[in-house]
Amino acid sequence: MLLCAIRYYRVKKGLRPHIPSESPNVIFATPTKLVSESNAAVEYMGANKVPDLQRIFQASDEIPVHLKRGVPDRLLYRTTMALTVGGALYCLVALYIAAQPKNK
Amino acid sequence: MAHQAHAYHMVDPSPWPLTGAIAALLMTSGLAIWFHFHSTTLMTLGLILLLLTMYQWWRDIIREGTFQGHHTPPVQKGLRYGMILFITSEVFFFLGFFWAFYHSSLAPTPELGGCWPPTGITPLDPFEVPLLNTAVLLASGVTVTWAHHSIMEGERKQAIQSLALTILLGLYFTALQAMEYYEAPFTIADGVYGSTFFVATGFHGLHVIIGSSFLAVCLLRQIQYHFTSEHHFGFEAAAWYWHFVDVVWLFLYVSIYWWGS
Repeated sequence: MLLCAIRYYRVKKGLRPHIPSESPNVIFATPTKLVSESNAAVEYMGANKVPDLQRIFQASDEIPVHLKRGVPDRLLYRTTMALTVGGALYCLVALYIAAQPKNK
Repeated sequence: MAHQAHAYHMVDPSPWPLTGAIAALLMTSGLAIWFHFHSTTLMTLGLILLLLTMYQWWRDIIREGTFQGHHTPPVQKGLRYGMILFITSEVFFFLGFFWAFYHSSLAPTPELGGCWPPTGITPLDPFEVPLLNTAVLLASGVTVTWAHHSIMEGERKQAIQSLALTILLGLYFTALQAMEYYEAPFTIADGVYGSTFFVATGFHGLHVIIGSSFLAVCLLRQIQYHFTSEHHFGFEAAAWYWHFVDVVWLFLYVSIYWWGS
Protein backbone atom coordinates (compact mmCIF):
# COMPACT_ATOMS: atom_id res chain seq x y z
CA MET A 1 0.00 0.00 0.00
CA LEU A 2 2.74 2.36 0.97
CA LEU A 3 4.76 1.38 -2.10
CA CYS A 4 1.79 2.08 -4.36
CA ALA A 5 1.43 5.44 -2.74
CA ILE A 6 5.08 6.17 -3.28
CA ARG A 7 4.93 5.08 -6.94
CA TYR A 8 1.80 7.19 -7.45
CA TYR A 9 3.56 10.13 -5.86
CA ARG A 10 6.61 9.70 -8.09
CA VAL A 11 4.48 9.44 -11.25
CA LYS A 12 2.58 12.58 -10.26
CA LYS A 13 5.82 14.41 -9.74
CA GLY A 14 7.12 13.30 -13.14
CA LEU A 15 9.95 11.35 -11.62
CA ARG A 16 11.26 8.30 -13.38
CA PRO A 17 11.00 4.90 -11.58
CA HIS A 18 13.96 3.33 -9.76
CA ILE A 19 15.98 6.50 -9.75
CA PRO A 20 16.58 8.12 -6.36
CA SER A 21 15.16 11.65 -6.26
CA GLU A 22 17.88 12.85 -3.96
CA SER A 23 21.46 12.81 -5.16
CA PRO A 24 23.84 10.90 -2.93
CA ASN A 25 26.34 12.84 -0.85
CA VAL A 26 28.84 14.09 -3.39
CA ILE A 27 32.30 12.81 -2.61
CA PHE A 28 35.35 14.52 -4.07
CA ALA A 29 38.56 12.57 -4.48
CA THR A 30 40.41 15.54 -3.11
CA PRO A 31 38.86 18.59 -1.47
CA THR A 32 38.27 21.49 -3.89
CA LYS A 33 41.02 24.06 -3.65
CA LEU A 34 41.84 27.36 -5.31
CA VAL A 35 44.51 27.46 -8.03
CA SER A 36 46.17 30.30 -6.16
CA GLU A 37 46.61 28.02 -3.17
CA SER A 38 48.12 25.17 -5.15
CA ASN A 39 51.85 24.70 -5.16
CA ALA A 40 54.25 25.48 -7.97
CA ALA A 41 53.63 22.08 -9.53
CA VAL A 42 50.66 23.68 -11.29
CA GLU A 43 52.25 25.14 -14.43
CA TYR A 44 50.73 27.78 -16.64
CA MET A 45 51.90 27.57 -20.24
CA GLY A 46 54.97 25.34 -19.83
CA ALA A 47 57.74 24.61 -17.33
CA ASN A 48 60.65 26.89 -16.46
CA LYS A 49 63.66 25.94 -18.56
CA VAL A 50 65.79 28.97 -17.63
CA PRO A 51 68.00 27.17 -15.05
CA ASP A 52 68.92 24.51 -17.65
CA LEU A 53 69.72 27.18 -20.23
CA GLN A 54 71.78 29.05 -17.67
CA ARG A 55 73.83 25.90 -17.13
CA ILE A 56 74.45 25.49 -20.87
CA PHE A 57 75.43 29.09 -21.47
CA GLN A 58 77.65 29.38 -18.40
CA ALA A 59 79.79 26.35 -19.33
CA SER A 60 83.47 27.29 -19.29
CA ASP A 61 84.31 26.27 -22.84
CA GLU A 62 85.56 29.57 -24.31
CA ILE A 63 82.93 29.35 -27.08
CA PRO A 64 81.52 32.80 -27.99
CA VAL A 65 77.87 33.39 -27.11
CA HIS A 66 76.67 33.36 -30.72
CA LEU A 67 77.85 29.75 -31.17
CA LYS A 68 77.33 28.42 -27.68
CA ARG A 69 74.37 26.22 -28.51
CA GLY A 70 76.34 24.20 -31.04
CA VAL A 71 74.88 22.91 -34.32
CA PRO A 72 71.83 25.18 -34.79
CA ASP A 73 73.96 28.27 -34.03
CA ARG A 74 76.69 27.17 -36.45
CA LEU A 75 74.16 26.51 -39.23
CA LEU A 76 72.54 29.91 -38.87
CA TYR A 77 75.91 31.67 -38.58
CA ARG A 78 77.30 30.02 -41.70
CA THR A 79 74.15 30.78 -43.70
CA THR A 80 74.29 34.43 -42.61
CA MET A 81 78.01 34.70 -43.42
CA ALA A 82 77.53 33.07 -46.83
CA LEU A 83 74.78 35.59 -47.65
CA THR A 84 77.00 38.41 -46.34
CA VAL A 85 80.07 37.54 -48.45
CA GLY A 86 78.05 36.46 -51.50
CA GLY A 87 75.83 39.51 -51.24
CA ALA A 88 78.78 41.90 -50.94
CA LEU A 89 80.41 40.44 -54.06
CA TYR A 90 77.08 40.51 -55.97
CA CYS A 91 76.65 44.12 -54.91
CA LEU A 92 80.11 45.10 -56.22
CA VAL A 93 79.41 43.39 -59.57
CA ALA A 94 75.98 45.04 -59.86
CA LEU A 95 77.46 48.46 -59.10
CA TYR A 96 80.28 47.88 -61.64
CA ILE A 97 77.72 47.02 -64.33
CA ALA A 98 75.52 49.97 -63.33
CA ALA A 99 78.52 52.29 -63.68
CA GLN A 100 79.10 51.34 -67.34
CA PRO A 101 78.12 54.12 -69.73
CA LYS A 102 75.00 53.55 -71.81
CA ASN A 103 76.08 53.43 -75.48
CA LYS A 104 73.52 55.25 -77.61
CA MET B 1 84.16 31.24 -16.75
CA ALA B 2 87.00 33.83 -16.71
CA HIS B 3 86.69 36.11 -13.70
CA GLN B 4 86.63 39.89 -13.95
CA ALA B 5 87.33 42.48 -11.25
CA HIS B 6 84.58 44.89 -12.44
CA ALA B 7 80.81 44.89 -12.95
CA TYR B 8 80.83 45.83 -16.63
CA HIS B 9 80.20 43.65 -19.66
CA MET B 10 83.09 42.94 -22.05
CA VAL B 11 81.20 41.29 -24.91
CA ASP B 12 82.44 38.26 -26.85
CA PRO B 13 83.61 38.96 -30.43
CA SER B 14 80.51 39.05 -32.65
CA PRO B 15 79.96 38.93 -36.43
CA TRP B 16 76.60 40.75 -36.36
CA PRO B 17 77.87 44.35 -36.73
CA LEU B 18 79.58 43.29 -39.97
CA THR B 19 76.56 41.41 -41.32
CA GLY B 20 74.34 44.36 -40.36
CA ALA B 21 76.59 46.82 -42.17
CA ILE B 22 76.64 44.65 -45.30
CA ALA B 23 72.84 44.36 -45.07
CA ALA B 24 72.61 48.17 -45.06
CA LEU B 25 74.91 48.29 -48.13
CA LEU B 26 72.82 45.71 -49.99
CA MET B 27 69.51 47.43 -49.14
CA THR B 28 70.65 50.88 -50.25
CA SER B 29 72.42 49.86 -53.44
CA GLY B 30 69.60 47.38 -54.05
CA LEU B 31 67.17 50.31 -53.94
CA ALA B 32 69.21 52.10 -56.61
CA ILE B 33 69.40 48.96 -58.77
CA TRP B 34 65.62 48.51 -58.43
CA PHE B 35 64.97 52.09 -59.54
CA HIS B 36 67.23 51.88 -62.61
CA PHE B 37 67.25 48.24 -63.67
CA HIS B 38 63.91 46.90 -62.31
CA SER B 39 65.55 44.04 -60.35
CA THR B 40 64.68 43.52 -56.67
CA THR B 41 67.17 40.68 -55.98
CA LEU B 42 69.85 42.78 -54.27
CA MET B 43 67.38 44.67 -52.10
CA THR B 44 65.59 41.46 -51.05
CA LEU B 45 68.94 39.88 -50.18
CA GLY B 46 69.70 42.90 -48.02
CA LEU B 47 66.35 42.61 -46.24
CA ILE B 48 66.87 38.90 -45.49
CA LEU B 49 70.35 39.63 -44.15
CA LEU B 50 68.92 42.44 -41.99
CA LEU B 51 66.32 40.09 -40.48
CA LEU B 52 68.95 37.40 -39.81
CA THR B 53 71.23 39.99 -38.17
CA MET B 54 68.47 41.39 -35.95
CA TYR B 55 67.33 37.91 -34.87
CA GLN B 56 70.82 36.70 -33.94
CA TRP B 57 72.02 39.97 -32.39
CA TRP B 58 69.06 40.30 -30.05
CA ARG B 59 69.04 36.56 -29.34
CA ASP B 60 72.66 36.94 -28.16
CA ILE B 61 71.72 39.88 -25.91
CA ILE B 62 69.04 37.72 -24.26
CA ARG B 63 71.62 34.95 -23.80
CA GLU B 64 74.15 37.37 -22.27
CA GLY B 65 71.60 38.91 -19.89
CA THR B 66 69.16 36.18 -18.88
CA PHE B 67 71.37 33.11 -19.20
CA GLN B 68 74.88 34.41 -18.46
CA GLY B 69 73.99 37.11 -15.91
CA HIS B 70 76.04 39.89 -17.52
CA HIS B 71 73.35 42.57 -17.01
CA THR B 72 74.48 43.83 -13.61
CA PRO B 73 73.01 47.14 -12.28
CA PRO B 74 75.66 49.36 -13.94
CA VAL B 75 75.19 47.50 -17.24
CA GLN B 76 71.41 47.84 -16.98
CA LYS B 77 71.85 51.58 -16.32
CA GLY B 78 73.75 51.82 -19.61
CA LEU B 79 70.99 49.94 -21.42
CA ARG B 80 68.43 52.36 -19.96
CA TYR B 81 70.44 55.38 -21.17
CA GLY B 82 70.69 53.72 -24.57
CA MET B 83 66.95 53.17 -24.93
CA ILE B 84 66.11 56.70 -23.73
CA LEU B 85 68.56 58.22 -26.22
CA PHE B 86 67.21 56.07 -29.05
CA ILE B 87 63.61 57.10 -28.32
CA THR B 88 64.76 60.75 -28.13
CA SER B 89 66.27 60.41 -31.61
CA GLU B 90 62.94 59.03 -32.85
CA VAL B 91 61.13 62.02 -31.33
CA PHE B 92 63.35 64.30 -33.42
CA PHE B 93 62.60 62.17 -36.49
CA PHE B 94 58.86 62.80 -36.07
CA LEU B 95 59.45 66.46 -35.17
CA GLY B 96 60.72 66.94 -38.72
CA PHE B 97 57.47 65.68 -40.25
CA PHE B 98 55.39 67.82 -37.89
CA TRP B 99 57.54 70.81 -38.95
CA ALA B 100 56.75 70.05 -42.58
CA PHE B 101 53.03 69.78 -41.82
CA TYR B 102 52.84 73.07 -39.90
CA HIS B 103 55.03 74.85 -42.47
CA SER B 104 52.52 74.03 -45.23
CA SER B 105 49.29 74.29 -43.23
CA LEU B 106 49.84 77.49 -41.23
CA ALA B 107 50.42 79.56 -44.42
CA PRO B 108 48.69 77.73 -47.29
CA THR B 109 49.91 78.94 -50.71
CA PRO B 110 47.63 80.31 -53.46
CA GLU B 111 48.21 77.07 -55.40
CA LEU B 112 46.29 75.27 -52.65
CA GLY B 113 43.49 77.84 -52.71
CA GLY B 114 44.91 79.77 -49.78
CA CYS B 115 43.13 77.48 -47.32
CA TRP B 116 43.73 74.32 -45.29
CA PRO B 117 42.59 71.68 -46.05
CA PRO B 118 43.48 72.63 -49.65
CA THR B 119 40.71 73.05 -52.24
CA GLY B 120 39.47 69.70 -53.50
CA ILE B 121 40.63 67.69 -50.47
CA THR B 122 37.95 66.01 -48.33
CA PRO B 123 39.69 65.21 -45.05
CA LEU B 124 38.74 62.20 -42.92
CA ASP B 125 36.19 62.86 -40.16
CA PRO B 126 38.27 63.03 -36.97
CA PHE B 127 35.38 61.75 -34.86
CA GLU B 128 34.98 58.47 -36.72
CA VAL B 129 37.72 55.82 -37.09
CA PRO B 130 40.56 58.17 -35.99
CA LEU B 131 38.79 58.69 -32.64
CA LEU B 132 38.38 54.92 -32.26
CA ASN B 133 42.09 54.54 -33.00
CA THR B 134 42.84 57.05 -30.25
CA ALA B 135 40.74 55.04 -27.78
CA VAL B 136 42.43 51.80 -28.86
CA LEU B 137 45.94 53.15 -28.27
CA LEU B 138 45.03 54.78 -24.95
CA ALA B 139 43.51 51.48 -23.80
CA SER B 140 46.69 49.67 -24.85
CA GLY B 141 48.65 52.09 -22.67
CA VAL B 142 46.52 50.99 -19.72
CA THR B 143 46.95 47.27 -20.49
CA VAL B 144 50.72 47.57 -20.84
CA THR B 145 50.88 49.29 -17.42
CA TRP B 146 48.72 46.48 -16.03
CA ALA B 147 51.21 44.00 -17.51
CA HIS B 148 54.12 45.81 -15.87
CA HIS B 149 52.50 45.74 -12.43
CA SER B 150 51.63 42.06 -12.90
CA ILE B 151 55.27 41.25 -13.67
CA MET B 152 56.47 43.23 -10.65
CA GLU B 153 53.99 41.42 -8.40
CA GLY B 154 54.87 37.98 -9.75
CA GLU B 155 51.38 37.41 -11.21
CA ARG B 156 52.36 35.21 -14.14
CA LYS B 157 48.93 34.53 -15.65
CA GLN B 158 47.80 38.17 -15.44
CA ALA B 159 51.06 39.38 -16.97
CA ILE B 160 50.61 37.03 -19.92
CA GLN B 161 46.97 37.99 -20.42
CA SER B 162 47.46 41.78 -20.17
CA LEU B 163 50.51 41.68 -22.46
CA ALA B 164 48.59 39.62 -25.03
CA LEU B 165 45.69 42.10 -24.83
CA THR B 166 48.10 45.00 -25.43
CA ILE B 167 49.42 43.31 -28.57
CA LEU B 168 45.88 42.58 -29.80
CA LEU B 169 44.97 46.25 -29.38
CA GLY B 170 48.08 47.19 -31.36
CA LEU B 171 47.09 44.84 -34.18
CA TYR B 172 43.52 46.20 -34.09
CA PHE B 173 44.91 49.73 -34.54
CA THR B 174 47.02 48.58 -37.49
CA ALA B 175 44.04 46.85 -39.14
CA LEU B 176 41.79 49.91 -38.68
CA GLN B 177 44.47 52.22 -40.08
CA ALA B 178 45.05 49.93 -43.08
CA MET B 179 41.33 50.04 -43.81
CA GLU B 180 41.36 53.85 -43.50
CA TYR B 181 44.27 54.05 -45.96
CA TYR B 182 42.37 51.91 -48.46
CA GLU B 183 39.13 53.90 -48.12
CA ALA B 184 40.65 57.43 -47.99
CA PRO B 185 39.34 59.84 -50.65
CA PHE B 186 42.84 61.27 -51.18
CA THR B 187 46.28 59.72 -51.93
CA ILE B 188 49.91 60.51 -51.17
CA ALA B 189 50.12 62.14 -54.61
CA ASP B 190 47.45 64.72 -53.76
CA GLY B 191 49.74 67.67 -53.17
CA VAL B 192 51.32 68.63 -49.90
CA TYR B 193 48.23 67.53 -47.93
CA GLY B 194 48.59 63.97 -49.19
CA SER B 195 52.36 63.96 -48.66
CA THR B 196 52.30 65.25 -45.09
CA PHE B 197 49.35 63.05 -44.13
CA PHE B 198 50.64 59.74 -45.45
CA VAL B 199 54.32 60.22 -44.60
CA ALA B 200 53.60 61.23 -40.98
CA THR B 201 50.86 58.64 -40.33
CA GLY B 202 52.72 56.04 -42.39
CA PHE B 203 55.90 56.26 -40.34
CA HIS B 204 53.75 56.21 -37.22
CA GLY B 205 52.06 53.01 -38.41
CA LEU B 206 55.47 51.44 -39.05
CA HIS B 207 56.42 52.29 -35.46
CA VAL B 208 53.19 50.67 -34.20
CA ILE B 209 54.19 47.49 -36.05
CA ILE B 210 57.72 47.64 -34.60
CA GLY B 211 56.33 48.26 -31.10
CA SER B 212 53.84 45.41 -31.41
CA SER B 213 56.67 43.08 -32.51
CA PHE B 214 58.84 44.16 -29.57
CA LEU B 215 55.92 43.46 -27.18
CA ALA B 216 55.31 40.08 -28.85
CA VAL B 217 58.93 39.09 -28.17
CA CYS B 218 58.40 40.18 -24.55
CA LEU B 219 55.27 38.00 -24.37
CA LEU B 220 57.26 34.96 -25.55
CA ARG B 221 59.97 35.75 -23.00
CA GLN B 222 57.43 36.19 -20.19
CA ILE B 223 55.91 32.79 -21.05
CA GLN B 224 59.41 31.27 -20.94
CA TYR B 225 60.09 32.67 -17.44
CA HIS B 226 62.83 35.10 -18.56
CA PHE B 227 61.49 38.02 -16.48
CA THR B 228 61.74 38.24 -12.69
CA SER B 229 59.78 40.66 -10.54
CA GLU B 230 62.94 42.74 -9.99
CA HIS B 231 64.66 42.42 -13.36
CA HIS B 232 62.71 42.77 -16.61
CA PHE B 233 64.37 45.61 -18.50
CA GLY B 234 63.50 44.19 -21.94
CA PHE B 235 59.83 44.58 -21.06
CA GLU B 236 60.36 48.10 -19.66
CA ALA B 237 62.12 49.15 -22.87
CA ALA B 238 59.20 47.79 -24.93
CA ALA B 239 56.70 49.61 -22.68
CA TRP B 240 58.62 52.91 -23.01
CA TYR B 241 58.64 52.51 -26.79
CA TRP B 242 54.93 51.72 -26.78
CA HIS B 243 54.09 54.84 -24.72
CA PHE B 244 56.20 56.92 -27.18
CA VAL B 245 54.16 55.48 -30.10
CA ASP B 246 50.95 56.37 -28.23
CA VAL B 247 52.06 59.97 -27.58
CA VAL B 248 53.09 60.47 -31.24
CA TRP B 249 49.61 59.33 -32.28
CA LEU B 250 48.01 61.86 -29.89
CA PHE B 251 50.03 64.65 -31.53
CA LEU B 252 49.14 63.34 -35.00
CA TYR B 253 45.46 63.15 -34.10
CA VAL B 254 45.26 66.66 -32.64
CA SER B 255 47.42 68.31 -35.37
CA ILE B 256 46.65 66.53 -38.65
CA TYR B 257 43.28 64.87 -38.12
CA TRP B 258 41.53 67.43 -35.89
CA TRP B 259 43.11 70.89 -36.32
CA GLY B 260 44.02 70.06 -39.93
CA SER B 261 40.41 69.41 -40.92
